[in-house]
Amino acid sequence: MSKRFGAVAACDAVDIEIHRGEIHGILGENGAGKSTLMKMLIGLVVPDSGSILVDGASVRITDPVAAASLGIGMVHQHFSLVEALTVWENVALGDTGRLSRSGVRDAVGDLSDRYGLRIDPDALVADLPVGLRQRVEILKCLRREPEILIFDEPTSVLTPEESDDLFRSLRGVVEQEGRSVALVSHKLTEMLDVTDRVTIMRNGSVVERFVTTEVDAGMLATAMVGRDVRLRSAQEMSQSDTRERVVADGGGSLPVLEFRNVEVRESGGSLELDDLTFSLGTGEILGMAGVEGNGQRVIADLLSGLRNRSGGEILVNGSVVDVSQPGSAMDAGIAVIPEDRHDSGIVLEMTVAENLMLSDPSGMSSHGVIDGLRREKMAADLIERFAIMCTGPDAPMWTLSGGNQQRVVLAREIAAEPTVLVAAQPTRGLDVGAIEYMTDQLRQAAGSGVGILLISSELDEILELADRILVIYRGQVTGEMTRSEATREKIGRLMGGDIL
Amino acid sequence: MVEVVALYLGCGLAALVISGIIVEAVGADWSTVGGALLDGSVRKPGRWGGTIGVTVPLAMVAIGTIVSTKVGLVNIGQEGQLLVGAALATFASTRVPGPGPVVLVIILLAGVAGGAIWSGLAGGLRYWRKVPEVLTTLLLVSVASNLVGYGLKKPWLLLDAEAKRGNRNLVSEQLPPDTRMPRITLFGNEFTISAFLAIAVILLVGWMLSRTLWGYRLTVVGHNRRVARRFGISESVQGMVAMLASGGFAGLAGALMLTGGDFANYRLVSGFSVSIGWVGLLVALVANNRALAVIPVAFVFASLRTGSGFLASTGIERRVTDVVQGLIVLALLLPPAIMFIRERRRALAAAGSRV
Repeated sequence: MSKRFGAVAACDAVDIEIHRGEIHGILGENGAGKSTLMKMLIGLVVPDSGSILVDGASVRITDPVAAASLGIGMVHQHFSLVEALTVWENVALGDTGRLSRSGVRDAVGDLSDRYGLRIDPDALVADLPVGLRQRVEILKCLRREPEILIFDEPTSVLTPEESDDLFRSLRGVVEQEGRSVALVSHKLTEMLDVTDRVTIMRNGSVVERFVTTEVDAGMLATAMVGRDVRLRSAQEMSQSDTRERVVADGGGSLPVLEFRNVEVRESGGSLELDDLTFSLGTGEILGMAGVEGNGQRVIADLLSGLRNRSGGEILVNGSVVDVSQPGSAMDAGIAVIPEDRHDSGIVLEMTVAENLMLSDPSGMSSHGVIDGLRREKMAADLIERFAIMCTGPDAPMWTLSGGNQQRVVLAREIAAEPTVLVAAQPTRGLDVGAIEYMTDQLRQAAGSGVGILLISSELDEILELADRILVIYRGQVTGEMTRSEATREKIGRLMGGDIL
Repeated sequence: MVEVVALYLGCGLAALVISGIIVEAVGADWSTVGGALLDGSVRKPGRWGGTIGVTVPLAMVAIGTIVSTKVGLVNIGQEGQLLVGAALATFASTRVPGPGPVVLVIILLAGVAGGAIWSGLAGGLRYWRKVPEVLTTLLLVSVASNLVGYGLKKPWLLLDAEAKRGNRNLVSEQLPPDTRMPRITLFGNEFTISAFLAIAVILLVGWMLSRTLWGYRLTVVGHNRRVARRFGISESVQGMVAMLASGGFAGLAGALMLTGGDFANYRLVSGFSVSIGWVGLLVALVANNRALAVIPVAFVFASLRTGSGFLASTGIERRVTDVVQGLIVLALLLPPAIMFIRERRRALAAAGSRV
C-alpha cells in the first residue's frame, strides 16, 4: 500500500498481514505512517497504489461504509459521541429505518455480556468517565459485527487499570469469536503485553516483523528508532545519576513555586481547580500525574496568564504573583512549555526568529526598532544550541516538524533563564529520539536550579524524571509521594480517583 | 511568483472577454469602450494628474485598512470615517485663523482626528463591550452620512454662510486659496503634492509594520491572541491603537480630498465621499494587505474611475460600464483568494502528511 501527501511518502509499499484470531500490533513513532495505513483500511484515505485483500478476495474500500460492509471497523482515538444522549442512543446513531429502543438496548446488553464490557445503556454519556466512553465507542464498533477491529492509540486517555480491562476484553473478543484486532500504538509495553505479532513501521515503511514472544522492549525500540536506544529503569537511573540536585525539604529553602488553596471556576460554575495546594523546590522535578481533563490544562493556562483564578494564591520565590495580568507570570520567572503549542506556544505564520523573540522582543530592539542582526544572531545561536532542524532563522514556523517546533518552544523558554519551568505533556506527539532529547534538557534545566513542574498523563515520563510525584484528580491533589515510594499501581489507583 | 502573474493575467483576460460579450450584446463596440477608459485615465494629456488625484485618498484609506486588518480587526467603516474626517477638516478650515500653510496642516490634522474619533467609537465598543467592530463600523457609516448632511444644513456648522447663489445646494464654504494643497506639474500633468505625502506615509507605515516593536506586537495579536496574552502583549491596547490609526488614515484621506480640490472644488458637499472609502477597502483586499502593493493597485482602481468619466461621452449606457467595472474588480480580487486557498491546501497537506 502506498500513499503520498505532496512530497512526503506517508506509506511506501507497505505490506501487512493480519491473521484470523490474532491481536496484531502496529508500532511506530509519530509520522511513521501507521495512522495513514489504518485510514486506508477504513476508507478515510484513498491509497495511491496497492491492493487490499479480505479473506483472499481483492476489495476496494472507498469509504467507511464500504469498509463496514467488508467487516472492518475502527475505534478512533478521538471519540464521536453525543454527550447529551444516552449510551443506547449513541449506539443507535447511524442506523436506518425505524428506531427500536428496546431492540438497541437489548443489543447493547447482549454485547456487554458477551465481551465483558459492562455499561448501563441508559446512562448519559456526559456523565461517563473517559474509560466508559471508550466502551461505548467499542460497542458501536462491535455491533456491526466486524471481523477486523482497528484500535488507534486506545490507551492515551485511560488509567492503567482501565487499559488492563480493555485489553482483557480484546483478548476475549479475539479468542472466543475468532475475530482479529489491529492495535496501533507507539507504546512498547502495550505491544509486549497484549499483541501476538508486531509490525514495526518507520518513516512510511515496514522495518521489522516480530512474533511478540520472541522480542523484548529493547529490540522493539531499536527497530522503531533505527538505533540503539537506552531504556532506563529506575535502578539504572539512580546509579547513573551523579548530578547534584537540591530537592525542596519542605521546611528549609524557599520553594520557587507555591500554590495555596488555588481555586479556578469555569464559566458554568463548576470548580476546575479545587483548593489546590502544592510547592516546588529549586532544582526539583515535580511530576503531576493524572488522566487528562482533571485540571492539568487549567494549571498550565493559569501559569501562562491565560486564565484567572477565583481564589487562593500563587507565589514565586515567596512573593505573590497576580497571574491574571497578561505577562506577569512570565515576568515573575515562570516559563511554560504548553500542552498545545499551536494554541499558546508558537505563531505558525511567523518565522523561527520571530517566535524565539516572543519572550523578550524589546531586548532585540533599540528605540522601538527591531535590530534584525541581533535577532538573527540570537536565533542562530539557539538553533545551534538546541539542534533545531530548519532552513534558518527566517524559516516559517509551519515548515518545521512537530518535534522541531517543540524544540523552538523549549529553546525560547530555557533561554529566558526562568525560575520555574512548567512542562505540560512535553513529549506528546514526539518520537523516541525527540523524547530522549526533551528529557535530557529537562534534567539539565533542573540541574541548573530551575524548578520544573512536569504535568503529564504518561506515567513512564513521570517515573523517569520526577523527584516527587503528585497525583491530580478532579482539580485536587489526591496523593503525594517521593520517587522511591512510587509504584505504578499506587499512582494508577490515585489517578482513577481512589483515596489511598 | 509566476503563478501569481499567471493568475492575474488569466482572471483579467476572463473579465475582459466577459465584458466584451456584454458590451457587444448591448450593441456597443468593445474597442470604443476600452479606448474611452484608457483615454480618460492615462492616455489623454493631463489625465494622469486626475488619476493621481484619486489614487491618493484611495491609497490612504487602504494603508489604514491594512493596519487594522493586521491586528485582526475588520474595519469596514472607512467611508464614514473619511466623511467625518472631511467634515472636521472643513470645520477647522472656516474657524481656525492663521497663515495659510499652518491652517493647511491643522486642516489635515483635523481630518485625522475626525476619522480616528469615528473608528475609535467602534474600537471602544469592541474592547469595552465586545460589540463586533464589523457591525459598528458599518452602521456608523450611515450615522456619519446623516450627521454630515445635517451639518451641511447649518451655517454654524458646515454650511456656506454666504449662500449668494440662493439655490438649494448644500455646500460648505470654499477653502481660501492659501489653505489649499499646493500643486505641481510634472510632464504635463498637474497634481497635488499630497501624492508625495501618500508615498511617504505608505513607505513609513509599511516599514513600521515589519521592522518596529509596535508592528511586531500588532502582528502577533493578529495571528494568535492567546500567544500575545501569554507574552504580555495587550490585545486591547494594540487593537485600539490600530483602530484609531485606521480611522485616522481614512479621515486624512477625506482631508486630502478636500484640500486637493479634485473632488468638489475645495468644498464639502453632500455625498462628498463618493465611495472612496468602499473602494479603498477593496484596494487593501486586492493588495493582499501588503503595503507596497497599495500604490499600484490604488492606481488601477483610480484609473477605472477617471476612465469611466470618458465613457459617458461614448453614449454607452452607464449601467453597462458599471458591470464592466465590477468584472474588472472581481478579476483583481480572485487571484489573492485563489492563492490563499492554494496555500492553505498546501499547508494542510504538509501537516496532514505528518500523521
